[in-house]
Amino acid sequence: MELKRDYQLWIMIIPAIVVVIIFNYIPMYGIQLAFRDYDFSRGLAGGAWRGLHYFSQFINNYQFWDLMRNTVIISITTIVLGFPAPIILALILNQVKWFRTKKLLQTIVYMPHFISIVVMVGLLNVLLSPNTGILGQLISKLGDTDINLLASTNSFVPVFVISDIWQHAGWNSIIYLAALSTVSPSLYDAAKIDGANKWKMILHIDIPALVPTIIILFILSMGNVLGTGFEKVFLMQNSLNLPVSEVISTYVYKIGILSNQFSYSSAIGLFNTVINFFFLVTMNWISKRNSDISLW
Amino acid sequence: MREYLLKVMKPVLALSLFGTILAGCGGGSNDGASSSDSSSSTNSTTGTVKLKGIMLKHPLTQEFSKMEWLTKVEEQVGVDIEWQEISADWDQKKGALLAGGDIPDILIGPNVITDADFAQFTGLFQDLTELISTGGPNIQQMFTEKPETKLIATQLDGKIYGLPKYQRFWPDTVSRQYINKQWLDNLGLKEPTNWDELYNVLLAFKEKDANGDGDVNDEIPMDFAPVGTTGFGYFQPQILLGSLGITLTDSSGQGYFTEGGQIKNYFVDDRYKQFVEFMNKCWQAGLINPEAFTQDYSKFQSVARGSGDKAKVGFSWGWEVTDRFGNTLAPQYESIAPLKVSADSTIKQSYDYDGYSLNFGGNMVVMSAKSKNKEAAMKFINELYNPTVSMQVLFGSLGTNIKDNGDGSYAVLPPTDSQMDPGTWKWTSTWADNGPTFISDSLKLTLGTDMQSVGKQTEPLQAVLSGIDKDNDILPSMFIKYNPEDNNAMVLVNTNMINLAMSKFSQWVTKGGVTKEWDSYVSNIKQMGLDNNLSTMQKYYDDYKSKK
Amino acid sequence: MQATTNHKRSTGEILFDISIIILCVLIFLIVAYPLYFVIIASVSDQTLVSTGKVTLFPRGISFFGYEQIFQDMRIWIGYKNTIIYTVLGTLFNLLLTIPAAYTLSRPEFRARRFLMFFFVFTLFFNGGLIPTYILMKDLSLTNSMWVFILPFAVNVFNLIIARTFFEASLPKEIYESAALDGCTHFKFFFYIAIPLSKSVISVIALYYLVAHWNDFFTGLIYIHSNDLQPLQIILRDILLSNQVFSQGGGSGGSAGGYAQQFADQVKYGVIIVSTLPILIVYPFIQKYFEKGVMIGSIKG
Repeated sequence: MELKRDYQLWIMIIPAIVVVIIFNYIPMYGIQLAFRDYDFSRGLAGGAWRGLHYFSQFINNYQFWDLMRNTVIISITTIVLGFPAPIILALILNQVKWFRTKKLLQTIVYMPHFISIVVMVGLLNVLLSPNTGILGQLISKLGDTDINLLASTNSFVPVFVISDIWQHAGWNSIIYLAALSTVSPSLYDAAKIDGANKWKMILHIDIPALVPTIIILFILSMGNVLGTGFEKVFLMQNSLNLPVSEVISTYVYKIGILSNQFSYSSAIGLFNTVINFFFLVTMNWISKRNSDISLW
Repeated sequence: MREYLLKVMKPVLALSLFGTILAGCGGGSNDGASSSDSSSSTNSTTGTVKLKGIMLKHPLTQEFSKMEWLTKVEEQVGVDIEWQEISADWDQKKGALLAGGDIPDILIGPNVITDADFAQFTGLFQDLTELISTGGPNIQQMFTEKPETKLIATQLDGKIYGLPKYQRFWPDTVSRQYINKQWLDNLGLKEPTNWDELYNVLLAFKEKDANGDGDVNDEIPMDFAPVGTTGFGYFQPQILLGSLGITLTDSSGQGYFTEGGQIKNYFVDDRYKQFVEFMNKCWQAGLINPEAFTQDYSKFQSVARGSGDKAKVGFSWGWEVTDRFGNTLAPQYESIAPLKVSADSTIKQSYDYDGYSLNFGGNMVVMSAKSKNKEAAMKFINELYNPTVSMQVLFGSLGTNIKDNGDGSYAVLPPTDSQMDPGTWKWTSTWADNGPTFISDSLKLTLGTDMQSVGKQTEPLQAVLSGIDKDNDILPSMFIKYNPEDNNAMVLVNTNMINLAMSKFSQWVTKGGVTKEWDSYVSNIKQMGLDNNLSTMQKYYDDYKSKK
Repeated sequence: MQATTNHKRSTGEILFDISIIILCVLIFLIVAYPLYFVIIASVSDQTLVSTGKVTLFPRGISFFGYEQIFQDMRIWIGYKNTIIYTVLGTLFNLLLTIPAAYTLSRPEFRARRFLMFFFVFTLFFNGGLIPTYILMKDLSLTNSMWVFILPFAVNVFNLIIARTFFEASLPKEIYESAALDGCTHFKFFFYIAIPLSKSVISVIALYYLVAHWNDFFTGLIYIHSNDLQPLQIILRDILLSNQVFSQGGGSGGSAGGYAQQFADQVKYGVIIVSTLPILIVYPFIQKYFEKGVMIGSIKG
């Protein structure tokens, strides 16, 4: 019997299932808040049913298309530029042969991950200041103009994305380094005997070893097309870059600090989630058809 | 001062709240509130009642167990309060606490629970009307002496959930405007009295070596606090709108103001256009700090402190001169009177009026409806409003922070640590502006040097401030309560409007174009629903005036 | 390092090595400078820092920031609590996640697709803060150390990573041949899967460890007693009180100016104080990434 055959597997997974049911699934009744008014005295599930009212309020909002555009631009750029960065970094680090150098480099590149967002944005402000910042001055000399990278609508996305890569590429490369460590040395030896050069070895040994991880992480990142995070965008916002820096999460926040719009913000959150989930499911389906690697 | 700090700190504090809202779509971790109900019990042997309390204290404020006056008050009224002292991220904690119905007997702090919360979380908070009439003589006293306080406390349904404060000594405005007198003298210039003169003075600062260090280019003629994305704040240039006769209230960050009993919004007012044109003219002439729109608050402060005794900034706004420019440079600056638009202007000048928000505050104390010892809690609260206790809530314990002159008058003592300034000392020693206070107008109290110098620097502004028609030209936001539906509708309009207005403002100032774009901009804002907001506010305002 | 004596290195090979070296130097400079800047900023005069006068060396050196941080006794309680929560939490996480990931990686386990969906779903949909808070309250987890350890013990992202690794590094054939010898899943998991997967287990452990270490939200929402607060909350309090300080919290006066100069130091100092311990952990984990750590056993 199948159950009998797999009972040990079930034992290994049941604790995880239980924890997820208790802490993730039980509170999910809260999702209906997006369709109801919040009524404290009657509980989360007791407010008047409003159907899609809060969703249409959002979609008909004056700023809706701007918000969607800005959000998507930021996150797509982050994915396009930010996703390959740790892979390339891992491949480079993997080529370093001197043991100590490698360790040192690995440790250094992973450190920026621990800088809090407040300090990260503070650093950007100090370093990019056109008058006093070391980078700001360098760039305005190169560009031969007086550009303020912090002020322009054109530079907001690049600054946001590049600083993100700076901060997280090292940390994100850890998983790829771990994957590379599972490659059997005998493969390299065999390749060497065949006369393959290093470039070929990267192409035919290292990258294939990373493919399953790459695909899975890529599917997951596509499930984040409307997720730009909040804190960093918000802290980097100023009135000059606002036309490109107002995203869904900062907008919800601005509504939220001024009034208790629980239902409205739940609806926007759910709207986000559903779109993200749709992208994830689609990506997963595409991947499953073409590569046989998928989340489920 | 407190309010000003709150405004400044808002972005920081507010970050947290956001987490709460979005937690709905991310999967964060969670947490729990304290042990179940706000249970309280009477210790039969000593007769003291045990209570639980939350207090939003200033981050500098020391532990409550070290506050002598508090210990005394608790002893005197026979309560023993287990305090949870909170100095950060209250908005975020609050959402969960309230929704979970998990609140202690009393909550204290500026707007610790908001009017919107009362409307939302019905039944969670105690209506104090009854308790005040039976056990709150000091509070009744405050309501009689300062009827405004009762107005602040009373909700739309006539109930009183939160108690207000009155702290009396604060000036009529948060912002004083400072100019570098030494630079004026170096260049043989006079204090500017209108925009044209200001322009010329700033231009001279720019083109000549005003600080006399041999470098013509290191002067920043004008600087202001970073203009945020959620509206204007204190120490920002919209204060110049006063020259055009617009009375700002609490900096009128979202543009709303009152003129002759009419609610208006300056973002669509032609006078605002004139102001933007002036700012653009200054910007193009290089008179404004090129980083004014991108620097953060701490850089704004650092720059003004110059280096050594060499000043960097010519003209700016601030709360108090040493706070703004540091001790070394402070003597170079002086506070100047509000400016006219032009020498021959006949417009009645105005300024930013903050007297209400600096001296009054709402919802400073709130009681849980579930508390089992309401009388005891009320007894404690009432004692806080005893004028001599209130004085200690605000400035610190008698003996260490306040001197009793023996003749019924008191004086605030200078800090024991000579390194410390009086303001910091106050915040460190006691609840200060975060506490519920009633400083009766009859109390004889001499203030510390910090408040005295703020008072002195306000003098040049005083004539204009006193000339403001308080009945018809001030938007009394703090006395007006909106019902939740109206409030929510207004917030949605305001959020959209402010996004457009703030980005247009900085764009027009730095790149120009206001003349060309003005009409389409105004019609855009109208489309968003500004007129609805104005008529809603007008309705509430008229209602307030009729009740007053 | 490799045996290059016998066969001549081609120009291509040398060029390749040179470009790797150049890239590494570049990466090093780009990443290290801002980090170095944080360190010198944490001991420099903040007026000089924010006006761009501090670039290569600290100026106006003072340790005010660190004094502020370390004179607060709560910080030691914070360290203690955070270490306890991090160690216990991570152990519990691994205990639940790794076996579950193994199960989900077994192709013969029929429920795997459904269960994967069941887990992934929670990555996107959840009830929000309020119902979760009420749940914790009902479970009496609020204001208790267990709230840091028990809830959300399975991070779905980590689960997926671990499963992907198991799938790639434990080919079906290995288990099948082991099963023929009478090896059960338990035995296979303990004696073959785990030893073969040290690198991924250490990555997952690192992810959990850092998440616990940086977690301030749990403390913020669910903890009311100061004695239970983790380090991050305490550092946040210190940071905030100094921010207020720097923004004229004292409404000026003699010390106002003095404090302003040094207050932002705390901001940078906090980064260093909170990050150093976790940096020390990294080298221990790093050694499991070395090539061929596990592969030998497959063949053997």
